[in-house]
Amino acid sequence: MVRHMTTNGGFEPVFCTVVPPHVLDRLARHDDPALSGPARRTLVRDSELRGRRRVTTEFALASAPLAKAPSDQPLRTVYDAGHGTALPGTKVRGEGDDPGRDATVNRAYSGLGATFELFLKAYGRHSIDGDGLPLDATVHYDEDYNNAFWNGEQMVFGDGDGEIFLDFTIPIDVIGHELTHGVTQYTANLTYYGQPGALNESMSDVFGSLIKQYTLGQTAAEADWLIGAGLLAPGVTGKALRSMKEPGSAYDDDVLGKDPQPATMDDYVRTGRDNGGVHINSGIPNHAFYLAATALGGNAWERAGQIWFDVLTGGELPDRAMFTDFASLTVKAARERFGDAGDEFRAVAKAWEQVGVRIP
Amino acid sequence: MRIQVRRTGGFAGIERHAEVDTAGRPDAEEWRALAEGALASGRGTPPAGVPDGFGYEITVDGRTVYCADPRLTDEQRALVSRVLKEGA
Repeated sequence: MVRHMTTNGGFEPVFCTVVPPHVLDRLARHDDPALSGPARRTLVRDSELRGRRRVTTEFALASAPLAKAPSDQPLRTVYDAGHGTALPGTKVRGEGDDPGRDATVNRAYSGLGATFELFLKAYGRHSIDGDGLPLDATVHYDEDYNNAFWNGEQMVFGDGDGEIFLDFTIPIDVIGHELTHGVTQYTANLTYYGQPGALNESMSDVFGSLIKQYTLGQTAAEADWLIGAGLLAPGVTGKALRSMKEPGSAYDDDVLGKDPQPATMDDYVRTGRDNGGVHINSGIPNHAFYLAATALGGNAWERAGQIWFDVLTGGELPDRAMFTDFASLTVKAARERFGDAGDEFRAVAKAWEQVGVRIP
Repeated sequence: MRIQVRRTGGFAGIERHAEVDTAGRPDAEEWRALAEGALASGRGTPPAGVPDGFGYEITVDGRTVYCADPRLTDEQRALVSRVLKEGA
């Protein structure tokens, strides 16, 4: 068995899926780094693909470092699309470079750093893939572009049209939101449609908001729980794009219409548009997180955030998870992480009950 | 020629819709070329797209195709931009 695993002419040993996981587990614990290193990397990669956190916590963090341990520093690059749509565009700021004159570039760079820091300091995760993935962002995408998105490899930010939306790099939670789509892609990989899609969106809002709270040093009671505050142009009647505290209350405007988010299952919106309402029904799990975090008090990223992170990255969340699947796993994760005697699992269970998501 | 564009999704999840009737317009020929190009490279069903990416539904005289950011052809991008900007 071991013979097949040794290095061969300088090539990286290949562990195919034919190697049973329990064998990889044993090898990963081996004292010889030539054996344990590749086995660990395979397990980690496998875990990323299937969204399993277990191996990274057991091996990568707890025992000997990987052959090439990911850095505790981010590796950021900001590009300028020059109002075109070719990606990534022209490199305008690399890691360690001094700030330039373009505030948009500087905000993107800082936001990438803040996101990297929350995931590392609060949860021990190295970048969005857990293995130090470089963080790339393109700003000034297209003309008057009213959007920001994650394209599977990098973030893309529009400048807004100035009439409805301002520059999408303004709210730090928007930057965190986009990068969290990357974390989700590398972990639970929630399908971007219907309830799993709304959970995917909610993960991005939850961690986007936590990145803002962590950066500002705000407790759950102090936070505004808004997504996209500062993004709406002055003439628009609204305070943000979404409210986790009070879904449905973020804006009510002649041009934009009214914030359509429900807070509970009673108002769940069935629609085929917006990938089955991913930006609409995310209000329900968003509100559950808000309720759990404020019931627990203190810094939201510490307990409520940890529980949500454990579920997102823990390997048990199916890519087609429904709200009830996610809710059950948060209660389980709360018990596992904080014990049966703690307030945590009760607060989490009550939050789901309040939004009408039943836990079987 | 009646050209309709519906844009859904995006970070904000706010839908926009606009249409242009090219009949009698001096630039009708330009619109026609753009619309035909956009239709030719469109898909019959909505593509998966990317998280927070816009999805577009383009309807030209009753025929509908779909496309999604960031993978739009130049004609599709030019058409949806113009219709959403100039259309009613």
